[in-house]
Amino acid sequence: MLQTSSLPTTPATLLEITGLTKSFDGVKAVEDVSLQLREGIITTLVGPNGAGKTTLFNLITGHLRPSSGEIRWQGTSIVGCAPWKIARLGVARTFQDLRLFSHMTVFENVLTAMEKSAWFWQSERATGAQRRERARQILDATGLLHKADVRANDLAYAERKFLSLARIMATDARMWLLDEPASGLDPRSYELFVALLRSEVRRGITICIIEHNLEIVVSISDRISFLDQGRLLADGEPEEILSNPHLSSIYFGERNS
Amino acid sequence: MLLVQLIINGVQVGALYGLTAVGFSLIFGATKIFHFAHGASFAISAYVFYYLYAVLNLGWPISILACSIAVVLFGVTLDRYVYVPIQRSNGSFFTVFVASFGVAVVIQNLIGTVFGRGFISVSSALSKSVEVAPGLYVAPTAGIAIVIAAACFVALQLFLGRTNIGIALRALSESPALVRTFGLNPKAISTCAFALGSLLVVPAAVLTSMTSGLNAAIGGRVMLISIAATIVGGVGSLRGAACAGLLLGVAENLAVWRFDPQWSEAVTFIILFTFIVLRPSGFFGRVVTS
Amino acid sequence: MLAYVANLATLICINAILAVTLNFIMGYAGIFSLAHAVFFGVGAYVAALMALQWTDSLLLQLAFAMTVSGLLSAALALPALRVRGDYFVAASLGFQVLAVTVFSEWKSVTGGIGGLVGIPPATIAGHAFVNPMEFLGLAAVALALVVLLTRTLVRSSFGRSLKAIRDSESAALAFGKNVALIKTLSVFYSSAMCATAGVLYADYLSFINVESFTIDASTLFMAMVIVGGIGTVWGPLVGAVLLTLLPAVLTYLPFLPQTEIGSVQQMVYGLAMVLLMIFKPDGLMGIKQGEA
Repeated sequence: MLQTSSLPTTPATLLEITGLTKSFDGVKAVEDVSLQLREGIITTLVGPNGAGKTTLFNLITGHLRPSSGEIRWQGTSIVGCAPWKIARLGVARTFQDLRLFSHMTVFENVLTAMEKSAWFWQSERATGAQRRERARQILDATGLLHKADVRANDLAYAERKFLSLARIMATDARMWLLDEPASGLDPRSYELFVALLRSEVRRGITICIIEHNLEIVVSISDRISFLDQGRLLADGEPEEILSNPHLSSIYFGERNS
Repeated sequence: MLLVQLIINGVQVGALYGLTAVGFSLIFGATKIFHFAHGASFAISAYVFYYLYAVLNLGWPISILACSIAVVLFGVTLDRYVYVPIQRSNGSFFTVFVASFGVAVVIQNLIGTVFGRGFISVSSALSKSVEVAPGLYVAPTAGIAIVIAAACFVALQLFLGRTNIGIALRALSESPALVRTFGLNPKAISTCAFALGSLLVVPAAVLTSMTSGLNAAIGGRVMLISIAATIVGGVGSLRGAACAGLLLGVAENLAVWRFDPQWSEAVTFIILFTFIVLRPSGFFGRVVTS
Repeated sequence: MLAYVANLATLICINAILAVTLNFIMGYAGIFSLAHAVFFGVGAYVAALMALQWTDSLLLQLAFAMTVSGLLSAALALPALRVRGDYFVAASLGFQVLAVTVFSEWKSVTGGIGGLVGIPPATIAGHAFVNPMEFLGLAAVALALVVLLTRTLVRSSFGRSLKAIRDSESAALAFGKNVALIKTLSVFYSSAMCATAGVLYADYLSFINVESFTIDASTLFMAMVIVGGIGTVWGPLVGAVLLTLLPAVLTYLPFLPQTEIGSVQQMVYGLAMVLLMIFKPDGLMGIKQGEA
C-alpha cells in the first residue's frame, strides 16, 4: 500500500475485507486485498481493465468463493454464503452488462427486485398495493414511469442504465455495489444519474462504484481505492490518489488500459 | 469365473462407450453445443455398416469407409445447416438442444421404419467366442475393441497435441476469440470438431454391431451413456469421458451379477445421479455450479 | 361420430394439461425436463391402484396422485437443480429411462409390461363418470382449473421470480431470489399438476401400461410446448390441439401403413422441433406476441 489516510470522524464499518485472494488456475485475479467500506461513504474502485474490480464485487456478493481471506458484513463473516442470502442481508449490486430481466416489463423488473420471499405470498410488512406504489415512485424518480409497460429488452441504452439503477433502488439494501453504472451515458443523462446517486447517499445508502470515468470519480467520491493486477495499490482521499504520478502512469498507460 | 467374465465383457463394452463419449465430449468441449444427435451418428454409422457389409456383402473396407463418410457428412451437415443458423439468430443453449433432440428423434424413427425395430447383428468370424478358460468365453472382438479404442484415444491425444488443427481445437474450447487471434476461422474449426467427433463413433458402431448387436433405439441408449460419461468424467476432459465410459460399461455388466438384466440401464442413471449430487465436476473437470 | 369427437376432445384436454404444466417449467423457469411422462405415469398408476384396491373417489385419487408425484419430483429436482441447466436435462433423461424400467419391472405395483386393466370409473360424491360426454366435461373443467391456477401463479410474485431466473439467473440471485428453492417449487407444482392428467387418463381409458409413459411421450409433450410457443398462455393449448389431432390426420393418409403411424408421428415432432428452432424459435404463438 502506498498511502492511507483516515477521515476526521470515522463512521461505522459496514463491510470489511481482509487479505482477500482469489486465484483461477494459478492466476491471481485478486491478491491480498484489504478494504473497509464505511457507512454513508461513497467509495470508488478505479484501476485499469482486468485489475480485478469486478472479481472483487463477485467475491463480496458471493457469486465467487475466495481462495483465502475474510469478508465481514457488520462484523459477521459472509464467506461461503449463498449470493441470495448476502443480497437479503442488505448488499445489492448492479452488473456491468446490466442483466436486466429482459422479457419482463420495466414495472415488473422493479417489482421483482422488491419481492424477497420465494413463496406465493410476501411476508414483509408492505402490502402489494404499497409495493406497487413505491415501484411507481421509483420509476418516476428515474424518469421511466412513461415506459412502465415496455419490455426491458425494448428500451434504449440510457433507459436500460436507469432501469438498472431503479432496480437497485427497489431493494432496501444498505449497501450498493455499482459496476460502471453510468458508462456510455450522454452528458445530460449522466447529470441526472449522478444527481440520483447523490440523493440516495443522502438517504444513508453506502455506495461502492467501479468507474473509469474520472469526472464521476472526482465529483462524487469520498474515497478512492486503486486496484491494479489484483492488488490494492492505494486507498485514500481523491486528491491524494489523483495527484499521485505513479498511479496516473499505471492508469493511463505504460501498461495498456 | 462369472465375475471375471462380466468384467471382461464390461471392459469391452466400456471401451466402446468411452470412444463414443470422447467423441461427444470433444464436440461439446470445442463448440459448447449439446450435440444430442451424436447418438444418431452412432446409429447411422452402425446401420450403414450393417447394410453394406451384412446385407449387400460389400466387404469391410468399403463398408467402413462408406459409413465413415456418412457419419462425417451427417455431423458436418448438421453443424452447417442446423446449429450455425440457430446460433446466428437466437442461439440459446436450449434452442440448439431442442433442434438436436429433434434430429435424433427423426433419425431414430427413420431407422426404425426402414430397418424395423428388431435386434440385428453382424456375424463374423471375429465375433465367435472362444473358451479361453473353464467358463470364460472371450471373442476376438473383445480384444480388438479394447486395442482399437486405446489406439484411437492415443491417436487423438497426439492429434490434439501435435497438429495445428488439434491445437486449434483445444484453443476453441478455451475461447473462440483465442482462435481468431491466430488468424483461424472458429467456424471452420468447429466443423472439424464435428467431423472428428463423429468419426470417433465409427469403430465403436462397427464393433457394437458385431458384438452386442443393434436395434433402432441404440442411438438413444448410446446418447444417454455418452452424456453420463461426459458428466461423470468431467466436462471438458476427454480423459475423463474415456475413463467414465469404461467405468459405466463395467458397472453395467457387473450389475447383472446381482440384479436382473433389465436394470442394467438403470445403473447408468444411478451413477450419473450420484455424481451430480456428490461431485458435479466429475473425475477430472472443474467445479460447475449455476 | 359424436363419440369419436368427444374422445378426441377429451384426449386434447388431457394433453393440454400436460403441455401447460410442462410449459410452466420450460417457458417460465427455463428448466428443460425430458421426464414429464414419468409424473404423468406416476399419477396414472397411483389413481389406478387406488381405484382397483381402495376407492374410486376422484378427489382422493387426485390428492394422492399429486402428492406422490410432487414428492418424487423433489427427489429429482433438489439435487439436480443445484447444478447447471444442461445437467438437469441429462438427469431428467436418465430419470425417464429409470422410470420406464421401474414401470416395466415392478410387476406387483404396475402390472409390469402388461399394465393395469379394468380400472373402475371415477366418482365424485357417488356419481360415476361413465358417459363420455360427462367425462369430457370433467376433463374440460380440470383443464380450466389448471390453466387458471397456472396463470395466477405466473402473474404472482412467484411467477416474477421464475421469470427473473429464466432471464438472468445471476441477477436473480443478486436480488435475493433463492433460486434453487424456487426452481424446486416450480418443478413440484408442474409435476403435481401433471399427475392430474395421469389420474384422468387412467380413469378414462380404464387401462394403462408403460407404453404411454416412455421417452416418446415426453418427446410429444415437449413438442406440444415448443410448437405452440414456449412461455405463453395459449401456446401449449395450441400445441396440444395440433399434435393430438396429428395421429387422427395421419390415419387418413392412404399410403401410410398403420404400423408406422407412431414412427411417423415422432418424425413429425422431431422435424417440427428442428424447423421451428431454425426459423421460429418462439413457436407458433411466440413469446413476443403473447403475454409472458
